[in-house]
Amino acid sequence: MSVISTEAKVGLFILIALIILGYMSFQVGEYGFGLKKGYLVKAVFDNVSGLEKDASVVIAGVEVGRVEGVSLVHGKALVLMRILPEVMLERDASVSIKTHGVLGDKYVEIVPGTVGEEYLLDGGVITNVKKQADIDQLLRDLGSISSDVMKVTSSLENVISGEEGEANLKAIMTNTRELMENLNNIVKRNDEKVSVMISNFSNASKEMERAFTSLNEIVDKINRGEGTIGQLVKDEGVFDNLDKTIASLREIAEKINEGKGSIGRLVNEEETVDNINASLKSLDTSMEGINKYITKTDQFRTFVSYRGEYLFEEDNAKSYVELKLRPREDKYYIVGVVADPRGKRSVTDRTVDGTTSRIEEWDRNELLFNAEIAKRYKDVVLRGGLLESTGGVGIDYFAFNDDLKLTFEAFDFDSERNPHLKFYAEYGIFNHIYLSAGYDDFISDEGNESPFAGFSIKFEDEDLKYLLSNVPIP
Amino acid sequence: MRNLIVAFDDLGRSVLRTVEEMGSILIFFVSVMVWMFRPPLRLRLIFKQMEFVGVKSLFVVVLTGTFTGMVMALQGYYGFRMFSAESMVGSTVALGMTRELGPVLTALMVTARAGSAMAAELGTMKVTEQIDALYVMSANPIKYLIVPRVIAGVLTLPALTIVADFVGILGGYFVGVPVLGINAGAFVNNITMLVGLDDIYNGLVKAAFFGFILSLFGCYKGFTMTGGAEGVGKATTEAVVLSSISILVSDYFLTAIMF
Repeated sequence: MSVISTEAKVGLFILIALIILGYMSFQVGEYGFGLKKGYLVKAVFDNVSGLEKDASVVIAGVEVGRVEGVSLVHGKALVLMRILPEVMLERDASVSIKTHGVLGDKYVEIVPGTVGEEYLLDGGVITNVKKQADIDQLLRDLGSISSDVMKVTSSLENVISGEEGEANLKAIMTNTRELMENLNNIVKRNDEKVSVMISNFSNASKEMERAFTSLNEIVDKINRGEGTIGQLVKDEGVFDNLDKTIASLREIAEKINEGKGSIGRLVNEEETVDNINASLKSLDTSMEGINKYITKTDQFRTFVSYRGEYLFEEDNAKSYVELKLRPREDKYYIVGVVADPRGKRSVTDRTVDGTTSRIEEWDRNELLFNAEIAKRYKDVVLRGGLLESTGGVGIDYFAFNDDLKLTFEAFDFDSERNPHLKFYAEYGIFNHIYLSAGYDDFISDEGNESPFAGFSIKFEDEDLKYLLSNVPIP
Repeated sequence: MRNLIVAFDDLGRSVLRTVEEMGSILIFFVSVMVWMFRPPLRLRLIFKQMEFVGVKSLFVVVLTGTFTGMVMALQGYYGFRMFSAESMVGSTVALGMTRELGPVLTALMVTARAGSAMAAELGTMKVTEQIDALYVMSANPIKYLIVPRVIAGVLTLPALTIVADFVGILGGYFVGVPVLGINAGAFVNNITMLVGLDDIYNGLVKAAFFGFILSLFGCYKGFTMTGGAEGVGKATTEAVVLSSISILVSDYFLTAIMF
């Protein structure tokens, strides 16, 4: 082996340095850049003192993200957190700031919400912010508590301390002892009376039973139809009967007044208790049923929308009125009517002298119908069914918290002409009001293509929801 | 009265000398920069200097780095034990090494080893009129002697620093885990969690800057020395002192800018 050249030595040295650098970057970089992916969620806190950028965000002690930044919004602290994409947070998840130990770093803890709730999307806000146990606050509270305790003990001290207090205490003790002795005597002496009282109670319950039978008879009489409201007003006899009823009722009341109660019977008879239990159970099951019904109704949402589009080429407007039924978050049905300036197309084949001619007609007064089934996968909605009274499919893409909708529709597939394709974008400018623009029928071979702009109004209809939820849903 | 004027004399002279020297360093710097980007690039000379500055300093840098890491672990342990946060020793050593101690100690060691040697070598060449001989041969001494040294300094210092960082952390690990009994997993996890790529890269940028400073000042002092054999010794001392001070002062400003 010859002498190693200068270049080889330098090369080896640099190579070693690069390998070490690569190894260290790899070890460290996992955390440095690993979290750049993931989605952002926000939360507004009253006070985030000590919370740094890149502080951990944990669920149940497992790190699921980092604090991306802290900024001031209307006098409160807005904390941006980047969460790992595989961690889904429910909309009602709660968030709080915690401390490692007493003096440690601050970190953000998230407690997951209820299972089945809607998940937060990128840019979502966690509204359920728990106030953290601030050490300053804690100390202040402790201080006021201890001063309260001090006040109590000092006033106690005033009362007890000194010879006077001692004498008072002694007097209290003797009084108490005397009182107890007296009580004991009273109970002993009245032992007999108490047992008499109890036997009286049992007699009373027997009387009560009799009273109820006579009440039953009266009710039977009423039931047998010896009095409706009409008869009450017209018939004098009814009045007499009523009088009698009231009189016998009075009798019962008097009997009750005479001191014959049913408490003993109610407590002693096991049948009654069983009956009550049974009825409570059936009440329970019916409540469960009602609960199920209510949650279903809660999930079920109904939206009504109107959309108008002004077609520039046609110099005319196209209107849509749609009802969207959403039994589940990710599934909905759309039914609607469309008023198209072209109207409805109808084709008739007519055979005259052996030659068949096809007549295509457009009826301007006819409405077109939409009836679609839609399924949502995250930000994408796939739908299909009847579009403008022909078979078709559509795809919607939502962005910016569903404010922006990009839609592509294809329908009216006919072998003789190009299908009707349409795309448009819709953006919500205010609550319920959306602006839209796009291109309708853009590969038309009948000169029907036209850019358009329009607006739409959408709102949720609570009344329809309750009406419709009475109809069984598949 | 006369003494007073002499005192003013001295003060004024030292100020003038300082300003003059700063100016001549600047001129030297500019001419080095100009010659650096003027072909041909003398690769053989650069490699030779890289071997001298880099490869031959490796041993002393590894030694310094290891013991620095070890002593940091030991000292950090006594501090963190009070809070039962012994596992933080790892990240303290790693952050300290990558951000500050790695670059600065490496630069100081290389200054002592290579910076002084540059000044002495160039000074001797000056005294023995070898530099004048280069002028006579119409070979620019800045291009031939100084540019390779400066380039070698800038390139090798980051490489030496990353080695120092690594062996420093290893040293800290060997003191922390087997000797002091810190949990190995917590030790390593704390390092990977708290040390960022930025920490390492900023340290390397610092190191490159220090490499430039020490080679430039070493060469400057040697190249501009006067006064025979005694002057060579003086130039060497001045080179080391000036480089070390500049490294420590510029370290502060670089840290303020970068972190």
